[in-house]
Amino acid sequence: MPQRRGLAFLLLTPAFALFALLTLYPLGRVLALSFFKTEYGFEDAVFVGLDNYAVLAADSFFRQATWNTVVFTLLATAGELGLGLMLALLVSRNFPGRFLVIPTLVAPFVLSTMVVTAIWSAWFHYDFGFLNNALRAAHLPPVAWLFDPDIALLSIVLIDVWQTAPLTFLILLAGLQSIPAEVHEAARIDGATPRQILLRITLPLLTPHMMLAALLRSIDSFKLFDKVYALTGGGPGQATETLSMYVYRQGFKFFDVGLASAAAVVMVIVAGILAGLYATKIIGGRSDVA
Amino acid sequence: MLRNTLRITAVYILTAIILLPIAWMIATSLKPAGEYVSTSVNLLPKAATLQHYRQLIADDIFGKVLNSVIVSCGATLLALAAGFPAAYALARLSLPRRLDAVFLVFVLVIKLVPPIVLAIPLYQVLRALGLLDTLAGLILVYQIYALPFAIWMLLGFVRDVPRAYEEAAVLDGASLWQMLTRVILPLMRPGLIATGVFLLILCWNEFAYALLFIQSPSKFTLPTYIATLITEDETFWGRLAAIGFLASLPIFALVGVVQRGLTRGFAGGLR
Amino acid sequence: MRILAAAVLAGMSFWGAVSAQAEKLVIAGRDGAYATALKLAVAEYKAKNPGLEIEQLELTGGGLLEKATIAMREKSGAYDVIMLDDPWAVEFMGRGWLADLDKLGGGVAEDFVKPARDVSRQPYGTGAHYAVPFVGNVEMFAYRKDLFEKHGLAKPASWTAVLDAAKTIAAKEPGVAGVVFRGKKGNPIVTGFLPILWAHGGNVVGPDGKASLDSEAALKALNLWLALKPFAPKGVETYDATEVRDALGQGTAAMSIELWPAWAGSLDDAEKSKVAGKVEIMPAPGETAGPAPMLGSWLVAIPASSANQAKARDFIDFLTSKDMQKKLALEAGSPPTRASVYQDADVTAKYRWYPAQLAALQAAQPRPRIADWSKVETILGDYLQLALIGQMEPKKALVEANEKISRAIRP
Repeated sequence: MPQRRGLAFLLLTPAFALFALLTLYPLGRVLALSFFKTEYGFEDAVFVGLDNYAVLAADSFFRQATWNTVVFTLLATAGELGLGLMLALLVSRNFPGRFLVIPTLVAPFVLSTMVVTAIWSAWFHYDFGFLNNALRAAHLPPVAWLFDPDIALLSIVLIDVWQTAPLTFLILLAGLQSIPAEVHEAARIDGATPRQILLRITLPLLTPHMMLAALLRSIDSFKLFDKVYALTGGGPGQATETLSMYVYRQGFKFFDVGLASAAAVVMVIVAGILAGLYATKIIGGRSDVA
Repeated sequence: MLRNTLRITAVYILTAIILLPIAWMIATSLKPAGEYVSTSVNLLPKAATLQHYRQLIADDIFGKVLNSVIVSCGATLLALAAGFPAAYALARLSLPRRLDAVFLVFVLVIKLVPPIVLAIPLYQVLRALGLLDTLAGLILVYQIYALPFAIWMLLGFVRDVPRAYEEAAVLDGASLWQMLTRVILPLMRPGLIATGVFLLILCWNEFAYALLFIQSPSKFTLPTYIATLITEDETFWGRLAAIGFLASLPIFALVGVVQRGLTRGFAGGLR
Repeated sequence: MRILAAAVLAGMSFWGAVSAQAEKLVIAGRDGAYATALKLAVAEYKAKNPGLEIEQLELTGGGLLEKATIAMREKSGAYDVIMLDDPWAVEFMGRGWLADLDKLGGGVAEDFVKPARDVSRQPYGTGAHYAVPFVGNVEMFAYRKDLFEKHGLAKPASWTAVLDAAKTIAAKEPGVAGVVFRGKKGNPIVTGFLPILWAHGGNVVGPDGKASLDSEAALKALNLWLALKPFAPKGVETYDATEVRDALGQGTAAMSIELWPAWAGSLDDAEKSKVAGKVEIMPAPGETAGPAPMLGSWLVAIPASSANQAKARDFIDFLTSKDMQKKLALEAGSPPTRASVYQDADVTAKYRWYPAQLAALQAAQPRPRIADWSKVETILGDYLQLALIGQMEPKKALVEANEKISRAIRP
């Protein structure tokens, strides 16, 4: 019905207007700027074609930042999925005090990121931090959490897992609770062991939820900036430099806005591909759940 | 059952470990400045004090809370107001279900772009609209990810509404407007609430854009205020811990709603 | 019907917010202690000027730079008074973004310490005045007098002496590091290194405007600074201001090569520090060249696009007057920029290190007067850290840094 269609498009207008103003325009501008060499905007900008992208490809700092970001994303997502899954499984059946435990497990997620970063910066301090104090009290050697180049990134992974495992926990718990009880009952009646139930029934049924959680966390981890900026500034050396920090430094320390824009475009493309892969998996997997 | 006892013990131990940094934070909010730095593992303050909480009140913390409430609620309402009709239109336009995935991807990719990158063009947009350094400007900027998120979540809930209700309404002679507000909206209430709460939580702790576009202390939201406690010369641990604790309480209260919403959303098959 | 009413209401309130404007000054300033000081001045100025509205923004260093730059670049007239860090002055003045204070009347008094006055002029040191020095931030040096006396060490007169003292204390005083400094990439690590570089006669950028890090003097300075690391607490590679202050304040470090006025106050506060009264503050020592403490002053200026320049000028004069500087020093701990205030008896009674601070200010060296200092600082910061964590040979670090800096400096 043509009239229906017209109405439908009318309904879409407010959303689309906001979207065009706040997303299409800025993104378009960033994309356009990536083909220029400029310090700020389009005045005084010099067209350089794909030059900025060539510079990125050749820049070892960019490669290191990409590597760090990918490693961080993989480790953090795996950690959050793992911890979230374990907590969800442990908590899925009722037990005394459950109604208190669930909100408590969610607590780290509701804190402001700045507060989380501040807490852990205090905890990671070599001489006065809680972690090393505890280690020393247990007669164990203290750890160079933030200034050992091999450990620094892992320390940041730890903070991220602590802060956002609650989110994956919530998603997976909801997923677990949406599995009809009859499914487990039937399996038990058929004589399946708890382990078999877990591996052959529960986990496969949970797969779309795990994919969703993994997607949400991957995209967010990819963006890592605040924690690194506050804790190590990208150091020691380049050990914790991430793509977002690279964009920030090029744009706001070196005032090479063209290069920063190119790096941002690369980030968006890579993340888009990643997200697209996940999404098709989720959509493809859905037919099993219906 | 031994297995059950083991499971419960494991849960409580894990919970205690996860809670530890937060317990530390709360304890720090009660410690006087001299006790911040030490080599001991003792969490408890030796001379507990409420001075940091008092200082927060002196810093006009209620004003900041109010600002945060205004911005979070405003952004949520705007996203729902623009997103609900859009979700309805998209659902009824019978576009392929794959569109859901597109929205999801889109939302996340948008959230992915570092705020710094979008800062300058957004700054120009806000200045052209005269909304720099205003709460209204922030409410607008938050639509960047609030709106796609709202549409994505609402799409699923809209599809849940059986067409039979709409057809009946059409037969009764209802206009589009009446159908949306009198029929669909009430049926979608739980979904709208769950989406709304999710969006509230999303906006409450947002600080990257808030830092960029809000300058006057009177308009600070909570995250912007928190940022002022971490200066290059000194970190004000007491107040930081105190406000960190207080600012998280409203969200904490809403977690139950989110959990129920998620469960309900997944019960009909993953969207 | 309800929606129509709501829309009208929204429209009216929006309009109301936009239109009501009395005479108004907008001040873009820093946050933290700077904001506290500014607030005091603003309150008094408002009392003297009823009917004048003043809005004071409290911004982080980075935020202030961003917003001031954007506002002046777009000539938006958003701010009438801005605070600026002295390295920013080069670009701001060079692009004509600031109002000429000689033309506005009054210039800048000679009571202000000369190095701070020099950076407020374009060309440097000789030209017209575009800013007034507001906060007398200067990098100083601190050491534990009690520990030095205990081990028979004299007040360090050179950086070599500092290194020797560090060795001695680290050997003889268990649990106390000889020295502490900031190693975090970027501004922190560079700021700690510069006085050492300058004291050896080295320079990041030479008088001819060309990169000059590839020199004997620079290598000596870098080697001396690296030699300090074994006597510093573990983890200096990521130390920033908070960690250095804590190390000094908790008594776990005997010297700090860098001490800013903002850090000095809490050291004598018995509630927060374990070393109250035991720390001696002085201008950093020299080596082959004389002491060259780094100037870190904050200036106040008027954007050329401001519509209230006369009033802004009046406010600036009020803010930096002798009486106000004394008041801000006594009540907010804001370091003055007028020599006369440093010599005031009430002020020196409260801050015992002010004579040292004045000496430091008068001998202060500003950072190189180039518009691209931010880029240079970032590059230098990267390479200093690579050398510090041992991932690059000192000589190679200097050569590579020098090369990148040459390419970054615009002619």
